Amino acid sequence: MEDHPYHFFSPDELDQLERIEEAGRANEYLYRILDIGQYMLQCGGEVSRVEDSIRRLCLSFGAERADVFTITSSIVVTIYARRFGAVTQTRRITGSAYDLYRLEQLNQLSRRICAEHWSLEQTEEALEAIRSARQYGFGVQLFTYALVSSSFALFFGGSLLDAAASGVIGVVLKFLDRAIRRTEANAFLSSLLCACLGGLLAGLAVKLRLGDDAGMISIGNIMLLIPGVALTNSLRDMFSGNTISGLMRFIESILLALTIAFGFALAAGLL
Amino acid sequence: MDMLIQLVTAFTGSLGFALLFHVRKEKLLLASLGGLLAWGVYLLMGLATDQEVVRYFAASVVLTVYAEFLARAVKCPATLFLVTASIPLIPGGSLYRTMECFMTSDLEAFSAQALTTVLLAVAIAVGMLFPTAIFQLVRRARIKKAPEMPGQERSPLS
Repeated sequence: MEDHPYHFFSPDELDQLERIEEAGRANEYLYRILDIGQYMLQCGGEVSRVEDSIRRLCLSFGAERADVFTITSSIVVTIYARRFGAVTQTRRITGSAYDLYRLEQLNQLSRRICAEHWSLEQTEEALEAIRSARQYGFGVQLFTYALVSSSFALFFGGSLLDAAASGVIGVVLKFLDRAIRRTEANAFLSSLLCACLGGLLAGLAVKLRLGDDAGMISIGNIMLLIPGVALTNSLRDMFSGNTISGLMRFIESILLALTIAFGFALAAGLL
Repeated sequence: MDMLIQLVTAFTGSLGFALLFHVRKEKLLLASLGGLLAWGVYLLMGLATDQEVVRYFAASVVLTVYAEFLARAVKCPATLFLVTASIPLIPGGSLYRTMECFMTSDLEAFSAQALTTVLLAVAIAVGMLFPTAIFQLVRRARIKKAPEMPGQERSPLS
């Protein structure tokens, strides 16, 4: 006791101070781990993958126990270790769009962190690098919208003329989508407007003899808008035990599909 | 001829969605080939059965095996291939027609179409479940042989 530098603290108090310091560090690590989890979820990672990654990261950073609860809109994590006690953080998640490249990078990152025990700075740098990676430009996205639209117009039995019309309308919808996204409007409103415009243009194309069947032209555009992937994944979530996430996504995709059908019905009424 | 068109557009449709979901170039081809494979299996199963649910289920099982194998071969999440290659299968058109019937208050057609949509989605989802579970079992069996959590003592918080 005599030769200890902080001899004015009792051993008990020293112990407590150390715990507080450790808890502070644990909080910082947990914050970064949640950054990774949040980003994975926003890039379209499955709930089970995100939970698993967060748990592994926590354990590799020295937690003895990690309880993770994730739904599509929130993450709650409590980690425990004798050294720092229990530490809890929550994160609210908003907005997600598939970015499979970033998801892949994040998955690799979390594996490497677990295997190599990275420092906070290293983790932050790597996350920033993933965040600032270049994405496909607007030109590629326009091409993509045209490609998907005309592919599915043909797939469902439309003529070549229908496919061409659907592709052009797809490009127009991408422009509208970008304009709406800039105003940060409600996602349902955006789909409603896209569907309505898509229906109007398809009807117009047939009237001008630039297409044969408005239904076939529209089905190509509908495949871009309709949440078919989300519907299938919501069922997958429910079957793998993530009932709440699955239900949320299921209801969301039903509502979105309803909105889109309403948009096309509106267009049919206007024509 | 119709089938050929469907196969080609299943490929290009998957390619489009792969681009939309930001898949990078080296995996684009693999992802779109998955779409072609899925629709090919669906068409082939047409020879054996006319039950749509069975055809979708079979296509989804084959597709998932393909995705899980590729995930190990090129070291990336299987989701990447699952999501993009299942594009020709997903009941988007069917989901839309369901809501269309709802809008026109054609309740009889609505209930029939809704049932189809949900059944197809269930067939695809369950079809993805089986192969994934088997691949996970194999991986766990392999991990058990390896020593438990090496390097735990080097973790930064201890």
